[in-house]
Amino acid sequence: MNSSNPPQAAEYGGDEVSAIVLDPGYSTTRAGFAGEDAPKSLIPTYYGKYNANGQEKLIFGDDVFVTPRPGLSVHNPIGKDGIVEDWDLAEKVWEYSFTSRLTGGKPGNPFQNGLNDIPHEELPTEMEVETHEKPLADSPLLMTESGWNPAKAREKTIEVAMENWGSPAYYQARTGVLAAFASGKASALVVDIGASNISITPVHDGMILKRGVQHSPLGGDYISSQIRALFKSNSPQPITITPHYLISSKTAVEAGQPPQAKYKTFPPEKAPDASYRSLLEDRTLSEFKECVVQVWPGPNKLAATGPTGVSNEEMARTTPGRPFEFPDGYNQVFGADRFRVVESLFDAKAALPDPDSPFPAPTQAQTVPELIKASLGGVDVDIRPHLLANVVVTGASSLLYGFTDRLNHELMQLFPGPRVRISAPGNTAERRFASWIGGSILASLGTFHQMWISKKEYEEHGPNIVEKRCK
Amino acid sequence: MSLASGVSIQDECITAFNDFRMSHGKTKFIIFKIADNKKEVVLDEVSSDQDYEVFRGKLESAQDSKGNPAPRYAVYDVEYELGGSEGKRSKIIFISWVPDNTPTLWSMIYASTRENLKNALNIHTSIHADDKSDIEWKTVLAEASGGKAGK
Repeated sequence: MNSSNPPQAAEYGGDEVSAIVLDPGYSTTRAGFAGEDAPKSLIPTYYGKYNANGQEKLIFGDDVFVTPRPGLSVHNPIGKDGIVEDWDLAEKVWEYSFTSRLTGGKPGNPFQNGLNDIPHEELPTEMEVETHEKPLADSPLLMTESGWNPAKAREKTIEVAMENWGSPAYYQARTGVLAAFASGKASALVVDIGASNISITPVHDGMILKRGVQHSPLGGDYISSQIRALFKSNSPQPITITPHYLISSKTAVEAGQPPQAKYKTFPPEKAPDASYRSLLEDRTLSEFKECVVQVWPGPNKLAATGPTGVSNEEMARTTPGRPFEFPDGYNQVFGADRFRVVESLFDAKAALPDPDSPFPAPTQAQTVPELIKASLGGVDVDIRPHLLANVVVTGASSLLYGFTDRLNHELMQLFPGPRVRISAPGNTAERRFASWIGGSILASLGTFHQMWISKKEYEEHGPNIVEKRCK
Repeated sequence: MSLASGVSIQDECITAFNDFRMSHGKTKFIIFKIADNKKEVVLDEVSSDQDYEVFRGKLESAQDSKGNPAPRYAVYDVEYELGGSEGKRSKIIFISWVPDNTPTLWSMIYASTRENLKNALNIHTSIHADDKSDIEWKTVLAEASGGKAGK
């Protein structure tokens, strides 16, 4: 084929326009085309801010990790409770999630793109030009939200989608319902272990039961803070996490020996903000969670004593440890400690104390079993057995090794009568992106067109239409 | 309006169900499925076979066009004895069958169409099954009788 021939329109997929599915979380924002298996665009929700020549600059996406610019600070537009705090920046981050990988850049203002520069004396007095082409003018948009997203935030979201992005059609779906559906269930108790929150959402006949929605901050970020607490009191020596950007070279050392690394230093005026370092330390902690941390599988708490009179803690010590190497070369094998950092998700008393932690010591009411108890307490007695027989586990932090085993034991102890059955996709992507995948399938169905809120309907009824149509 | 797939119910399904209701136990069950075009719920089978195990076998062996295990919806006329002078009762139960190893695509479509079909048929007693043990006779009997029979 002659490469100079332009491709036919059909090769681009003709007029077929896929909807975009946007699943905004606290730690990451997931976006992609409806009908695909996984979100094509996965970016941190964190963004960077710095000053260059007296001008404030923002960095979005993975670029935030790359360069330790002078004064670079890291922020998140979403609050710790998972509700948007800074709407201007949330809009920018979300917009970046689809324009960077999916929809591409839209043409800029023709006056400023350099092609239409004209000498000053000829400056036209009046000219009408559409200055902003809207980024989603061609794509229906399905967005997800938590079960406790307040009405005001819901209305603000549809406003951004319709007015600022120019989306021709819109729908907003609860993450809990999407995750339940993706498991084939119209009724389920959805246990979502995220980064900033763990939540329990009862779904019945495809609707969330608001009175049963429970959430607490003991998510992935909390577990990271527990690991930090462990590192401070670690033996043979306390561990400092030094991110890769501060290391110029390292030499291999024996386990437990002090690191032998050459460090990069930044003079104060060149150094990035502490929040940048903290974000990069968190990446090492994520790796640590994936490779080392393990949930005590039960039965019973880590602090309890087993049937043979041996304490569970003792049992944990006898299991083979797991090695981990830090960016500076320091390495050691982690034994029973790897269970302790996550035990407080089930037993608040087991929390490792740390006066410097941004998380106050957890209460028992914030633990997973108690949240589930409270959630079921908020729903009709008759449907509780159905929910317990259909527990759906989702969220990236639920991938912690042993999590579902422990949850199963805890639930069987709490509710000895009814049958408890947990369904948790074994596939990592399906666990991390259950809501996105659910949204992707729905939005790709031809029959779903009747669910979309059209631009015209939005204009007639205003943002409040989301309350009526997306229950 | 709650979140739903928008998949429609073919008229034939409603007609068949109304006939089933009027047959007073002669018709024993109906199985429905979602057509391969993902646009509508269609009739899969109407049967008067009185053996529950035949019905259960049909659900368990349901396959999609590629031979993979596939979900189904069904209605079954459950007859039960209350004991003493209470006598015989019967109740129609709605069953959604989405076996564990169903691909996510079909799990999603069946789950998000369930309420639409259940409401169209106007049945209030239902069970959801994803494991063979969920559609054992005693489970179905207990649900249909509100726990009064089959103890």
